Amino acid sequence: MNNMAISNTPIVSAAGQKDGQTRTGSTSGFSDALFNAVNEVNNQHQTADKAILNVQAGNTGGLHEAMIALEKADISFRTMLTVRNKIIEAYQEIMRMQV
Amino acid sequence: MDLTTSLKICGSGLAAQRAKLDIITSNLANINTTRTPEGGPYRKKTIALAAETVADNFDSTIKEAVRSVRIDEVKEDTNGIKMVYDPSHPDADAKGYVAMPNINIMSEMADMITASRAYEACVTAFESTKNMTMKTLEMGR
Repeated sequence: MNNMAISNTPIVSAAGQKDGQTRTGSTSGFSDALFNAVNEVNNQHQTADKAILNVQAGNTGGLHEAMIALEKADISFRTMLTVRNKIIEAYQEIMRMQV
Repeated sequence: MDLTTSLKICGSGLAAQRAKLDIITSNLANINTTRTPEGGPYRKKTIALAAETVADNFDSTIKEAVRSVRIDEVKEDTNGIKMVYDPSHPDADAKGYVAMPNINIMSEMADMITASRAYEACVTAFESTKNMTMKTLEMGR
């Protein structure tokens, strides 16, 4: 499971710095939204990780809770992936533009 | 319905059915138990479930109608303790009768099937919700 999670600290810190820089300007809307989305997906994965660990350690929380957390993480990741694909598509479309 | 709300309701349903199955298992395991911490034979336990409102942000019309399930309380059924004649039993009274738990194995088995089918139904609802979400994401392709 740990491999599947988007690495815990580097992305957050890097994006956080970037976020701090852009926030001073007026063009913070999109990067903020993207940053928050990635962060949310990352949180979901960490929650799923914790749930699985709990199940394996025999602590509280049932197997179904872990499965639901996993599915939530999966769905949020796929949603992020779709958004990412759309962005790349738009970018490539712009790059193909004749000048 | 909001995705997370839907999954939350599924989760509450699964937890409720699991609890129900736990209680049934406890009843079945203690079918011959004559000693309990409270004294006397084991008494059949039943679980009561309660509906709970959940905050659903998707549609204001169904907001009030959508309910998740919560385990409300576990009750003991004190009626119908069976007196069985067994003088050799250590807990037999002066006349040789032993107070046995009021558990009917047939009704417990029927309850068990109901609980496991309800659990399966919750899983199916969960899968269906997930499929709908996946289909929605396919719109972006």
